[in-house]
Amino acid sequence: MDQRGPGERERTMARLVAACAASLLLYFACFAVVLDRPLSFGWLRHEINARLARGAAIEGPKLVILAGSNGPYSHRCEIIGPLLGLPCVNAGVAVGISLDYLVARWRPLLHRGDLVYMPMEEAQYVRERAANALGPDAAIMLRHDRATLARLPPHRWLGALFSYDLRGALMAVIETALAAAGFRDPRAAVDGESNAMGDHIGHTAVLALANASTLQAARPYHPTAAQIRTGYGGVLIARFLDWAHAHGVSVIGGLPTGFDDSPIPDATIAAIRAIYETHGARFLELPNRSRYPRSAFFDTPDHLNQTWQAVHSVAVACGLAPLVAGRQRVIAGNTVCHSKQRSDDAVAVERRTASPVPISQGIASSLRPSQ
Amino acid sequence: MLFHSQPFVLGFLPACLAGCFVLGRFVGGTAALAWLLLASLFFYGWWNPPFVLLLLGSIGGNYVLGQHLLRLSRAGRRRAARAWLSGGIAANLTLLAVFKYADFLLHIVAPDAPPLGISLPLAISFFTFQQIMFLADSARQDRSDTGSLTYATFVAFFPHLIAGPIVRPKDIIPQLQQRALAPNADNIADGVMLFLLGLAKKLVLADTFGGFADTGFDAAASGAQLTLFEAWYAVLAYSLQIYFDFSGYSDMAIGLARMLNVRFPLNFASPYQSRNIAEFWRRWHITLGAFLRDYVYIPVGGSRCGTLRNCANLMGTMLLCGLWHGAAWRFVIWGGLHGLYLVAHRHCPFTLPRLLAQALTLLAVIVAWVPFRATGGAAGWSILAGMAGLHGIALPQMIVHALPPLGWIATPVEVLPWLGDARTLSFPEVSACLLLGWGIVLLLPHVHALTDRARTWALTSSFAFSMQAMFFAPHVAPFLYFRF
Repeated sequence: MDQRGPGERERTMARLVAACAASLLLYFACFAVVLDRPLSFGWLRHEINARLARGAAIEGPKLVILAGSNGPYSHRCEIIGPLLGLPCVNAGVAVGISLDYLVARWRPLLHRGDLVYMPMEEAQYVRERAANALGPDAAIMLRHDRATLARLPPHRWLGALFSYDLRGALMAVIETALAAAGFRDPRAAVDGESNAMGDHIGHTAVLALANASTLQAARPYHPTAAQIRTGYGGVLIARFLDWAHAHGVSVIGGLPTGFDDSPIPDATIAAIRAIYETHGARFLELPNRSRYPRSAFFDTPDHLNQTWQAVHSVAVACGLAPLVAGRQRVIAGNTVCHSKQRSDDAVAVERRTASPVPISQGIASSLRPSQ
Repeated sequence: MLFHSQPFVLGFLPACLAGCFVLGRFVGGTAALAWLLLASLFFYGWWNPPFVLLLLGSIGGNYVLGQHLLRLSRAGRRRAARAWLSGGIAANLTLLAVFKYADFLLHIVAPDAPPLGISLPLAISFFTFQQIMFLADSARQDRSDTGSLTYATFVAFFPHLIAGPIVRPKDIIPQLQQRALAPNADNIADGVMLFLLGLAKKLVLADTFGGFADTGFDAAASGAQLTLFEAWYAVLAYSLQIYFDFSGYSDMAIGLARMLNVRFPLNFASPYQSRNIAEFWRRWHITLGAFLRDYVYIPVGGSRCGTLRNCANLMGTMLLCGLWHGAAWRFVIWGGLHGLYLVAHRHCPFTLPRLLAQALTLLAVIVAWVPFRATGGAAGWSILAGMAGLHGIALPQMIVHALPPLGWIATPVEVLPWLGDARTLSFPEVSACLLLGWGIVLLLPHVHALTDRARTWALTSSFAFSMQAMFFAPHVAPFLYFRF
């Protein structure tokens, strides 16, 4: 580049600074006001809001299952709620949704006497602060929910302002165009959908066959106890537990579902348990530590297929009952907790795969008379 | 310390510039140069302090030998100079061999022997080649007299120390000798502009494509069979990653040097727009290509000999080029492929139409990246088989629904498991990113050929994304060429 005169030199510097400033302004304007991701984040927003609406509509004590997608895929309020005699909401949506955002949305709806069950995915405990600040909720808040954003700490504001990377920006353009063209989300056809309680339904063993090779190849990662103890996600969970304890909300921690050929190390489980027990909550560890054969899953280690979702839900309800004041009696009259029949039924249906849906309906309906 | 890390941008760089300019203004050029040397050694030692001693030892030894060579040449003692030069080159290459190639050579000689586990000093390939140039130029009297401080600063100069550009001593040392370390607004503005555009190439583009490439290549390494689109997308993404990563680094290095009033040569000039493989090597890693041409290919005879010998010279030079990138067969194969391409091009009896020639060159370069990136022979073959469609052709259901004729050639699947994040919309996401990346490299001029106005637009469109990646992205990937 040629040497320039003083006037030109000043203009060069000014142009440099102006380009940087304009870049930031355009970026903020685009992502806070103009662009959106109506398909991916729009779907998440819809799912979160539907669950919140269900929670707000319940009067009196309720059970809230709080996790990532392990909540709705592997747990069924439709089964657990009746077994415990509590109205239930499956509040989890996706593991990427930041816990502090979810808690900020749910806190106004949680009251003394409510029960929160948290079978959080291992990844939630070790999630880094930076990743937490850039979850999909950051973009959702920036565009649609600035009231919740205002209630979160300043580093979340900055994270929300800078939540779009190049991929996100391109997807915003693509999704906006697809939505405008009337694109129909194909997920319901291949994944199933959510019911009124927030449970994921329709993720049948038949549909799971399409994911068999992915499930066989999956190699779950288990964080170490030290990672669990120092993870930022664990800090957020501990903060929520302290708040719940102070406000009379009972919390019970739990283990996420996973492959039985990939057990969570004992030390890791102990570290997870310690987070709950040192912050006024209790912890449910099922005899099988929520481990199931790979054939019981839908598409990832966090997602049981619908048949086994029902089996696991019964096990969770039966495990929760003794830990919840006044609920032992409700469940004591139901033989489902004292029988191995439920898993045998599930296995039988799994083998028949032609009609896997009735198992959950069957279990759910068999429970109704004892409510 | 990485150019795109917060400690570098917020701490090291301002302190280094301020120290240089203040000392240059109030104490003198020598003090400023000394500060620059100390800062560069600090920069190098940030990664592994003990290796600073190795760097200093290499600089000291080569400086003494270079001065001796210059004296011998000036005295007309050419045979002695040649002998000392051979010894010096051998010593440098031995040092490189010990640290970089010992395990590789041991594995060839004794495949069952346990690895020596010698850790590789950062940038040893770069500062070794840099100093071989100095020795050769000394023996040829192709440089001026140089003080030890200037020489040490030249070798350790942080903008090019880690990953080049490989600069000729006679081009840079005079600039340092001018002691012109006073702030120059033009150079600072140009340097900052180049640095920020390089930063965007690295953080916004290279790291995005790196994620896509890693998904495919890692899957192949673990035994997965990638279908046609997964394999092609992984390789196309890697081709973009390595270009944006290394050319971004080079732009940042050129920008940093410019801030200190030092001009580096161009290292990348839109290489994927080349119309033949020889042109590609005049546009890709230009300074390495120039080094190999001037210090290896031409000295062994170049094209001034028979056809067979010329082919051998080309192959030998490119095999060395491959080996320079790393101690592994995959780099040798990559170098060998480029050697074959160059031989074929040199002796090709016909000329192709421009677009066809460009497409063929691009295809050859892309295919050669497969062994370069794949972590093993099996993974490389698997990727190539996937690119040939031998593992089938699959497309997401939503795409086949939207364009039913695609169903004739592709199997509809829920998601492609080895493409992006394996989500429903991963296919359009990766496609859009690749379209953008290839559009930039194939249709636009390179950063140094842009007008001021175009550069300003480029900065406006990228700066916010760079800041997003630098300060908010949870993971920052190192430069690919740090490994070399």
